[in-house]
Amino acid sequence: MELAIRTEHLTKIYSERLIAVNDMNLEVPRGSVFGLLGPNGAGKTTTLRLLLGLQRPTAGRAEVFGKSCGPNAVAVRSQIGYLPTNPNLPGNLRPIEYLDLLGKLSRLPHQTRKPRISALLRAVGLLGATDQRIQTFSTGMCTRLGIAASLVADPPLLLWDEPTAGLDPSARRFTLDLIRELGKTKTVVVATHILTDIDQICDHLGVMHEGRMIFAGTMQDMKRRLRRDDFTLELDGDADGIRHLAGDIANIEGIDAHLGTGQTLLVRIADDHSRSGALAEVLKIIDDGNLSLHAIYSSRNATENAYLQLLQEDEAHGFDR
Amino acid sequence: MDSTAKSSKLGTRMMPYLAILQHDLRSLWASRLVRLWLAATAILTFVLAISNWALFQDAPLIAWLLFPYLVFPWFFVVVVLGVSPVSGSRAEALADGILSRPVGRCEYLLAAWSARVVLVWAVYLVVIVPAITVVTLAKRSVPDDTVTVYGIVSSLALVGLVLTFLVSLGFLMGTLLRKPLLAVVVLIFVWYPISLILSVFSLEEFSPISLCQALPTQLRQPWQEVEEKSETNTDKEDISTFTNQFSHFLSVLSGTKPEPKATNPDFFESDEFKDFSLFRVTLGYGLPTVAAVILAVLCFHRRDL
Repeated sequence: MELAIRTEHLTKIYSERLIAVNDMNLEVPRGSVFGLLGPNGAGKTTTLRLLLGLQRPTAGRAEVFGKSCGPNAVAVRSQIGYLPTNPNLPGNLRPIEYLDLLGKLSRLPHQTRKPRISALLRAVGLLGATDQRIQTFSTGMCTRLGIAASLVADPPLLLWDEPTAGLDPSARRFTLDLIRELGKTKTVVVATHILTDIDQICDHLGVMHEGRMIFAGTMQDMKRRLRRDDFTLELDGDADGIRHLAGDIANIEGIDAHLGTGQTLLVRIADDHSRSGALAEVLKIIDDGNLSLHAIYSSRNATENAYLQLLQEDEAHGFDR
Repeated sequence: MDSTAKSSKLGTRMMPYLAILQHDLRSLWASRLVRLWLAATAILTFVLAISNWALFQDAPLIAWLLFPYLVFPWFFVVVVLGVSPVSGSRAEALADGILSRPVGRCEYLLAAWSARVVLVWAVYLVVIVPAITVVTLAKRSVPDDTVTVYGIVSSLALVGLVLTFLVSLGFLMGTLLRKPLLAVVVLIFVWYPISLILSVFSLEEFSPISLCQALPTQLRQPWQEVEEKSETNTDKEDISTFTNQFSHFLSVLSGTKPEPKATNPDFFESDEFKDFSLFRVTLGYGLPTVAAVILAVLCFHRRDL
């Protein structure tokens, strides 16, 4: 497997006090859309900054496309398009001037730079704002410009830190669609704590907690980690009927049922039982009774459950960590 | 063909440096501090020239016009301009915007430093050159002076060098201390008692006040005399004096007693400042300027953003 990013025992300790990244080993396959997931303060941004050479590792090493990262690794940064969280942009410039400056920093010749800037501004929907100064831009517009800025040099690797932070639903949808589109030709690393974003766009995932990488693998691997298969049934009928149904379902081997909020029933299937078989039995009981089924939800969200489970396991391991 | 390819390669290589230089110059020019400074410089120069118009000959009047740059108040503005590029909130924007691109840290620092030096020289020259031209060409009710073109150019260059040194010092402090306000305060505490500090090390020649006092002598210096002096191995004397000053500086630092030497009269002994050496002062400010820039680059290279 060809790797876009590889870290070995990467560690970052701030002022001998705060461990931001703790002995992290990470491999990001080339061409993947990799979600770097973790709660606030998990070390996601620090990891990205270490890859960019904006910070120096306390120990360990990081490589991008086989080249070592560091403050003077210009060749590494020429392969990366970085989008920081809520990018801090020069307010006195206009979008074209800003992108032109970044194009020059990437040593793009004039004849390549200008058409690319126009194409990018069109792609991120900022053509109508080219005569405005950046300081007048909304958060969404700044993020769009930040996205365009990360694509100016057409790099093969994109590191996007919280790309949907502070965006309205349509801007968020646009960003997620764009990541999906870019993922067809580039390696994209998206650092976020928003699980639904990861669920929609990523094919690989790394979960960070307190500076450590507690899981890295494909999305399928992640979902397979769920110990339990849960369903939520939304029913129509009286409360006694639902309680009675819960008792009937709980009598089936390998299935557990609990009353949920409102008229819902949470059905939990044991690991060694077939999901489809168990569900068929449950549906048969409902059909035989006098309740009607409104909807079935496959738990809350498989990724969310798996993620929370990972965090809980990591907390519970204590010293073993 | 080959030279065209070479120049195009050099152009591509220099592209980030020139882009940052241009961007920084533009941002600096847009800042209120610089515009206010330019206006205040023009006003103060005008006021100083008018109030001393009939009092001083050309050389002392020009030296008086240069005084604000060397001593007070413009040193403060120059230091603030030097401190800003890599400290405070700017560092974050810098990391997000420029240093996450394929730009070396050294490349960025040199471009930011050059932008500040160019700006300071531009503001300084754009006001002082017309003022000196008017002072030297106007017919005033004072005795004629013997100010020379060489004297004017060398004096302007000397003050420019001191300003470059101040920018570099601010630059170094901004990189070392990170907090701009702290860096400025430290520099004020270092720069104001500088004459006292220099006299401890017997380096009064380099103090800004001494430079101001020596400027009239330098302004009257003819080019021819300098050529003659250089023919008589004055450079060797300058180097020897500079070496003596340096060894004295080191001996004071290390606490050992310097060896007594037969020396010329002290710098302040005669008011004529005949022993003022442009070469020594250039070295005295030039070397620390280079050292400050190198130290800032080294320090910035090791720093996390």
